[in-house]
Amino acid sequence: MLLIHCPHCGEGREEEEFSYSGEAHIVRPLAPQDLNDREWGDYLFFRKNPRGIHHEMWYHAVGCRRYFYATRDTLSYEILETYIVGEKPQVTSAGSGQ
Amino acid sequence: MSQINRLPTGACTDSSTIINFTFNGKQLQGVAGDTLASALLANGVNVVGRSFKYSRPRGIVGHGAEEPNAIMQIGSGAATVPNLKATQVELYEGLEAASVNGWPSVNFDLMSITGWFGRLMPPGFYYKTFMYPAKLWMTYEHFIRKAAGLGSAPVQEDPDSYDKLNQHCDLLVVGAGPAGLVAAREAARAGARVIIADEQSEFGGSLLASTQRIEGQAATAWVAELVAGLNAFSNVQTLPRSTVFGYYDHNFLGILERRTDHLGISAKLGVRQRLHRVRAKQVILATGAFERPLVFAHNDIPGVMQASSVSTYVNRYGVAPGNRLVLFTTNDNAYQTAIDWHRAGRTLVAVIDSRGAPEGELVTAAKKLGIDVMAGCGVIEAQGGKRVKRALVARLNHDGSQIVGAVQKLDCDLIACSGGWSPAIHLSSHTGAKPVWDEQIVGFKPGESTQQERSVGACGGTYALSACLAEAVLAGAEAAKLAGCGDGNAHFPVSEVEEYQEQPQQALFLVPHTKSTSRAPSQFVDMQLDVSASGIELAVREGFESVEHIKRYTAMGFGTDQGKLGNINGMAILANALGQSIPETGTTIFRPSYTPTTFGAIAGRDIGALFDPERYTPVHRWHEEQGAEFEDVGQWKRSWYFPRSGESMDDAVNRECLAVRNSLGILDASTLGKIDIQGPDAAEFVTRMYSNSYLKLAPGKCRYGVMLKEDGMIFDDGVCACLADNHYLMFTTTGGAAGVLAWLELWQQTEWPDLKVYFTSVTDHWSTATISGPNARKALAKVCDDIDLSSDGFQFMDWRDGTVAGVKARVFRISFTGELSYEVNVPAQYGRPIWEALMAAGEEFDITPYGTESMHVLRAEKGFIIVGQDTDGSMTPADMNMDWVVGKNKSFSFVGKRSLERSDSVRENRKQLVGLKTIEGAQVLTEGAQVVFDAQQKIPMSMQGHVTSSYFSSNLGHSIALAVVKGGHSRMGQVVYCPMADGRIIAAEIVDSVFYDAKGERQHV
Amino acid sequence: MSSKAENINSESPLKYFHKLSNHQRHSDSAEIFNGDVEFALVIKEAPICAHLNLRGDGADKSFTDGIAKVLGIALPTEPGTYQSCQQHSLFWLGPDEWLLVSQGNAAEIEVSLRQVLAGHIAIVDISGGQTMINLRGTDMAVQTVLKKSSVYDFAGWPGASGNAGRCAQTTFAKASAVVSNKSDGSFDLIIRRSFADYIARWLLDAGEEFGCRIEG
Repeated sequence: MLLIHCPHCGEGREEEEFSYSGEAHIVRPLAPQDLNDREWGDYLFFRKNPRGIHHEMWYHAVGCRRYFYATRDTLSYEILETYIVGEKPQVTSAGSGQ
Repeated sequence: MSQINRLPTGACTDSSTIINFTFNGKQLQGVAGDTLASALLANGVNVVGRSFKYSRPRGIVGHGAEEPNAIMQIGSGAATVPNLKATQVELYEGLEAASVNGWPSVNFDLMSITGWFGRLMPPGFYYKTFMYPAKLWMTYEHFIRKAAGLGSAPVQEDPDSYDKLNQHCDLLVVGAGPAGLVAAREAARAGARVIIADEQSEFGGSLLASTQRIEGQAATAWVAELVAGLNAFSNVQTLPRSTVFGYYDHNFLGILERRTDHLGISAKLGVRQRLHRVRAKQVILATGAFERPLVFAHNDIPGVMQASSVSTYVNRYGVAPGNRLVLFTTNDNAYQTAIDWHRAGRTLVAVIDSRGAPEGELVTAAKKLGIDVMAGCGVIEAQGGKRVKRALVARLNHDGSQIVGAVQKLDCDLIACSGGWSPAIHLSSHTGAKPVWDEQIVGFKPGESTQQERSVGACGGTYALSACLAEAVLAGAEAAKLAGCGDGNAHFPVSEVEEYQEQPQQALFLVPHTKSTSRAPSQFVDMQLDVSASGIELAVREGFESVEHIKRYTAMGFGTDQGKLGNINGMAILANALGQSIPETGTTIFRPSYTPTTFGAIAGRDIGALFDPERYTPVHRWHEEQGAEFEDVGQWKRSWYFPRSGESMDDAVNRECLAVRNSLGILDASTLGKIDIQGPDAAEFVTRMYSNSYLKLAPGKCRYGVMLKEDGMIFDDGVCACLADNHYLMFTTTGGAAGVLAWLELWQQTEWPDLKVYFTSVTDHWSTATISGPNARKALAKVCDDIDLSSDGFQFMDWRDGTVAGVKARVFRISFTGELSYEVNVPAQYGRPIWEALMAAGEEFDITPYGTESMHVLRAEKGFIIVGQDTDGSMTPADMNMDWVVGKNKSFSFVGKRSLERSDSVRENRKQLVGLKTIEGAQVLTEGAQVVFDAQQKIPMSMQGHVTSSYFSSNLGHSIALAVVKGGHSRMGQVVYCPMADGRIIAAEIVDSVFYDAKGERQHV
Repeated sequence: MSSKAENINSESPLKYFHKLSNHQRHSDSAEIFNGDVEFALVIKEAPICAHLNLRGDGADKSFTDGIAKVLGIALPTEPGTYQSCQQHSLFWLGPDEWLLVSQGNAAEIEVSLRQVLAGHIAIVDISGGQTMINLRGTDMAVQTVLKKSSVYDFAGWPGASGNAGRCAQTTFAKASAVVSNKSDGSFDLIIRRSFADYIARWLLDAGEEFGCRIEG
């Protein structure tokens, strides 16, 4: 049961209020029609599923209804940061900020 | 039987208050303050159960959560509770207890006499014997369970009430022994919100049985003062009888509070158990330690107990569980038991100390009392049947690995053992912290954890009381500071304690026997599951090396006690057999729950009528009053059909369907999801989300649209109305409302934040009454005079604002039945009055309320799909024969568009929506039935599709079905077959999915 | 024609909720509220009023000024807070979303707001879709019922003062609510209409140990 800091509400809230929304920072192709099936399939279906640092998207469904990002360690479940859409993560698997 | 073992006084019992109870049907008496275990011991009850495999008689060993043998069934009937430990059951008047193991009785056990059963069960028994053939497993399991007798669950409904509290605190202190109490007090003073929980009925932990003096007073008096002080803080919540059973992510812990169990099992006492779901900023674990048993031959005979448990029964409960004691120890600490026993006035035969030259202060104190100490010796075997009769004692070599002298027999009826202490690291383990072996304390200490927690006192390996208190004071202040309270400095002085200096203990995990381990009488490691030292060695000989594998193979630690006593000895024996060190061997990890947790408490109040929210429309009570049957659609209660007296469901649905087609019906459509969409880019946004375009939809107009996921598959559908320029009202399916809103927000917030548009759910704001049928216009005209209802003035797929029965309404001319229909929307507070006004207006047309079942039939007659019924997340619009809803020339690539061109989306034999008309019109296919092309094919048949919707159509006079069939669109006229569960095979013809009014004229009139 | 039915009355979500009390008080509850030995917890549904959802840019001065001008109260831009006056209450729901609960007429308020607010805003009347329930009683009873009902830490809030306090949109039983504290120590729940019966049932059950009644 995670405690998630909502960057919009400004406080830690219980996991029950949120829904997980998958991997963050996936860039949607600007011109999908120019991609072949393999390239489009990669965008559609393939996800990182890393062991360790993972940037993911959460939805504060029973709260402010905002999507935001979280950097979570998939080993310890520790949430290292949360940040709003448009921002870049400070914690990355390379160890330093971007 | 009288209380033959009752002493004049116990620190926590009141012998003037007699409590009557029964054990295996026998009337017994205990006193106030007793546990079931102390009362049984007071009565001289030796055998409390039979062991799992060998059916050996077993007695009480411990005094708390570690007890492996005294497993009881408490109460009877609906309120019976299986598998409680007698050591944790507080005695109450009228308590009924029974052993869970042993048939026909614990003292006369058939299984034991036949004796064959245990010999059939070596380690890995299940794996070796019962794995093949797999289909017989159910038979095996039934047999094992009956023989093993793991208690019985009540068959009636639980009469008790349970609930849950969500708690938040700065500091949760687990365990209210000396360390926990002192830490809690320190944090409370710093202003922290503190919860302190302890599984026992009273706070004090080990001090409740201690004869030590603290600050010049008896330990129990010192505890009482401390607890009173804690209760005086308004920021402290004290929870006795509360077991912290699990430590989960981000400092989330579960506590099971037993509120009425000690009062007797009765339904009328309020909440029986309460589950606290605690989010703590900081946690202090002060869970103490378990004394480690010593493993010697037949160490399971009733009368072999833990040394600290003997002290606890003597000091706390005023019970001496025997007459002649042999104390077997590897450490100084257990000498206290000898002293306590001596003071109780019973015979102390000898102290057997495995160490060659014990000379700590406690040893000296014991010797001064004239207690006989046999140093460098060990109890190698206990003898007796249902009670210990004697101990076999032999001299051991310096590390206790070999017998070096003759064996002598000591007559006794009680052997108290102490192999040192094992910190209770269970909760620390739950956090994922890996236990660390410590040579000094000869045990595993809590490892480093990523959680905000610390272990203090015995559970951290600190055993001396003064050191525990000093550590706890600091821990309390520090934890409070980390939670944002106080300056981190301890305020209260460390209490002065009268204490003996102790000498090092000896590590002794398996006491040698004159015979080899495999030939010696069983040396038990795990009493509850009958795991012996030879069993572990056998597992190693069979090739097992990993501690986790050995655990599963031998079942060590799998009982309800989770190996609290046996695990360390077992791992050490394993390490020895593998020829490696204990740290190299490692330990198994404890997982939640620490002790068994009641399902009732986990369910809480989420049962019965409160199990899941029931969502009502504003007209719900009217439907109830009309005797409607309801259908669950998500959390909504929707009226399903309205049976008249004597009508079956089919009768009612047939009547309702005919009424709509022939005159007029009314449906409560309030549950449909509704989203208000406005903002300068609303038109652009809506167009990107639907497969068709909305850019040119004018105010006053509606359009049906289908929404796709990025993979091109249909995920919702509905009508979207243009209310004004860049202002839309989107209808979603009833079940899809929340998902669609989240989907819109996802794209706007994360993909296209530059598009200016806002979404607001208005599902609950509007009540929708749909009137449908040839007489709909006439009926509406009776209550609405400010909308031009003429065929041209208010066309199909238009909407109008107006006044209906005096209330401002928004009327949509859309149709899910294919008939002339108006959906009258009013703010929900007017929902029922307007419904009733429409009923009155429709009276002359015999207006008929219809439910979701008729709605389904009517729309299926028209071939209208229901997303989630006719689609399953793998259907494209083309699969549904709905190419017309895809705007191929839209300027912007709508969500899902690219995927419609994937090779898989355009392949020819995709499952496609078709109609099925049974050859015999009266036969109705079963929804979900498989479609095959060759009825003669042998099983497994090639499944070519399945039936998604199927009904009897009273309007058409025959059954109709929708199905998805591979390449179905090019199979019109072909006959396919649906094998039914009852063996029948129904033949049906593939037809167009529109069965009624194919040209769609009726909705346009 | 339509004039025949013009005396139609509006119906609040809990109009048909019949069970009015639950007072199988637990033997260990010593809670007494306002001298009432039977009920330490009182639930009351507010009369029907206007609920409007407001969207806009809280950092845009013309937006905040416009709202202050029309409503006479400041837009709460601090997350999890509300502002109120005799007539209106404004609850923070999200970084660009507020809930206005008002004694006034929803349509008229919408018109006056639209007159002063320009740019990308949204105003949506949701009066029919929500209702407000007040929960009052002893601190122990109110806090315990809140703890049973929600994962949110309401006990961690500072008390409300005068016209301002805290609010949170969070889980409530298996539904959701906007919960706010009031200066009299009671709490308001704003819930969705379709869940009203379920939540009323839940509250009566949760309050049972203290004695709980619904005030008509």
